Amino acid sequence: MHEDAGRAMVTESSTASTANDRHMRLLIIEDDRESADYLVKAFREVGHIADLAGDGEEGLSLAETGDYDVLVVDRMLPKRDGLSLIGSLREKGNRTPVLILSALGQVDDRIKGLRAGGDDYLPKPYAFAELLARVEVLSRRHGGPAEETSYRVGDLELDRLSHRVARGKDELTLQPREFRLLEYLMKHAGQVVTRTMLLENVWDYHFDPQTNVIDVHISRLRSKIDKGFERPLLHTIRGAGYMIRDGIR
Amino acid sequence: MTAFGKLIRTTAFRLTLVYLLLFALFAASLLGYFAWNTRRLITEQITTTVNAEAGEISEIYARRGLRGLVFTIENRALRPGANLYLVTTPTGQAVAGNVGSLAPGVMATSGWSETAYRRLDEQDIPRDHRALVRVSELSSGFRLLIGRDLEERRRLFGIVVKAAQWSLLVVVVLGLGGGIFVARRVLRRIDAMTGTTQRIMAGDLTGRLPVGRSGDELDRLAENLNAMLERIEALMMGLKQVSDNIAHDLKTPLTRLRNRAEEALAKSGSEAEYRSALERTIEESDGLIRTFNALLMIARAESGQARGNMDDFDAADVARGIQELYEPVAEDGGMTLRVKTSPAPLHGNRELISQALANLVENAIKYGRPLPSIQPLSAGTAADGYEIVIEARRDGACVLLSVTDHGPGIPEADRSHAVERFVRLEASRTQPGSGLGLSLASAVARLHGGELKLGDNNPGLTATLAIPARTDIGDRLAAQTPDVPQKAA
Repeated sequence: MHEDAGRAMVTESSTASTANDRHMRLLIIEDDRESADYLVKAFREVGHIADLAGDGEEGLSLAETGDYDVLVVDRMLPKRDGLSLIGSLREKGNRTPVLILSALGQVDDRIKGLRAGGDDYLPKPYAFAELLARVEVLSRRHGGPAEETSYRVGDLELDRLSHRVARGKDELTLQPREFRLLEYLMKHAGQVVTRTMLLENVWDYHFDPQTNVIDVHISRLRSKIDKGFERPLLHTIRGAGYMIRDGIR
Repeated sequence: MTAFGKLIRTTAFRLTLVYLLLFALFAASLLGYFAWNTRRLITEQITTTVNAEAGEISEIYARRGLRGLVFTIENRALRPGANLYLVTTPTGQAVAGNVGSLAPGVMATSGWSETAYRRLDEQDIPRDHRALVRVSELSSGFRLLIGRDLEERRRLFGIVVKAAQWSLLVVVVLGLGGGIFVARRVLRRIDAMTGTTQRIMAGDLTGRLPVGRSGDELDRLAENLNAMLERIEALMMGLKQVSDNIAHDLKTPLTRLRNRAEEALAKSGSEAEYRSALERTIEESDGLIRTFNALLMIARAESGQARGNMDDFDAADVARGIQELYEPVAEDGGMTLRVKTSPAPLHGNRELISQALANLVENAIKYGRPLPSIQPLSAGTAADGYEIVIEARRDGACVLLSVTDHGPGIPEADRSHAVERFVRLEASRTQPGSGLGLSLASAVARLHGGELKLGDNNPGLTATLAIPARTDIGDRLAAQTPDVPQKAA
């Protein structure tokens, strides 16, 4: 049942990522055979290449020899646990982005994981759409305009230095938080960004609000940047999150 | 272990043995001191009288010569309880006196010595007496011995030794008896306690230790243990309640989930129908995951594990951040969310406190709408009625983070109940939510040594996280303004 549900999500979001037409090479290090197979299949369906390692030692040697864009590492692994694997990779100068999957979802476990050299942390159980969005953001090839001073999507322009936002000839007035929200979305233009990613990166909260706070913030932002324009730029990706992009659907 | 083995292993009995030894040593040293002093006193007395008599006799000899001397000696030797006397010629021939025999060489050396002797009238008695004697030389080479029998001193010493033996015996018998008595008493009470604890371990949590009326240390221990058992029983009851609630609140959505899947499977529908069934399934399971996460978070906060991640921050920033996050949601719901802040220094887990405050705000947004019936009665304008206020301030030793709404509030009787896990007051059953919001806020407050207070806003609810303020700042503030009572947090 879980697998079917996941695949339903995959087809939803695949529209977004296949549109990129860029493949990632992923290494999944996970000891639970069933969920590992599911991940490999799901990543392949959206056009990425995924290898699989069943324990920490195998994972380490594959990660060292293969040229991967992102490693997806389970925290608790046989032979060598996830954190020590990441630690020894980092010690050897391997900077491949790592996403940690863990059943330990609490705040301090996340901090421990990030301190050990992980780049992102996703507690189990997770939605595949969430994992995919995070992996795509982490990927080097999909890194996008990382630290540029201004972003541009279609005729929407954001200047990070002067804090100016303009759509075509119209100057837009944004609240500071709306500016940061748009900045994050535009930094990852063309990539799906989930609600949790927004809450973590724009607000720096790691809890799970019961209400649709993010949706409300997005709809406010949308009314400022898209209202009255013919081509919408801020899109809702059902079952996954949001994406800013020129010319989709 | 045998009963006797148990007895002699008790602390009370071992302590008795130690005291017994101490008292025996004390008695022995007291008696020893007494005996030694008495002996010294007797010896001194003897030397004094003998010296005096020797002086007297020398004078008689000087005045009346040998004849007078012999006469006086013979005379004195015949008195009852007389001292010992002996006069010898330069060649050692006894001339006068009542001493029959002496240890050899005594007469040859002048001065004091202790010697065995026999009287003239008891030559046939085999045992020697002992005496303290003084030998002096008279002018013509004659030698004079004056002494005193030491029988008296010996007898006194014997009495002391006997007293020592008896007192030792009494001390040992009384001590052992007392020790066994005390140890048995203690043992009986300990056995009673052990029996109770074994019953409790066997599963009967209602058992309590027997508490006597003497208020001694064992009673105090029993009282404390009983209080602990009380708490454990309450916790166990709570746990049972929680697992019942978990069973209810997780099984209901799980059943719904299963039914929906089964229904979709049974019905041959279109792809769109399947899809919507699956989407609802995922929604439902996301809700379940949220509930689980909240439960884990509460368990973590309650066990104090989250204490590792604490730092210094201003609760006013947290209040502003949460206001900023929820303001659009409140506005969508037709309410306004305002924030009032003054510096409120805290040391704690910022993430957890943010989440606790977020839960209170979410509650206020969900339930803080005035009831239509009481709206016209409310004192403020309609706009006031829809206002939710987050406030962060410092009040003495505490930082107060409060959320105030103008909704129906919670009746006083229900307030303590509302903080419990999974409790959704009847009015709110229809609203989505895990029912864990207030419990998490309360657990977070307790983790920081504070509490969650629910109060009345007439009408409406004021939910306040009262948490001890950061102390270093607290001390500084107290030093500046002496009228602020300084409390150790």
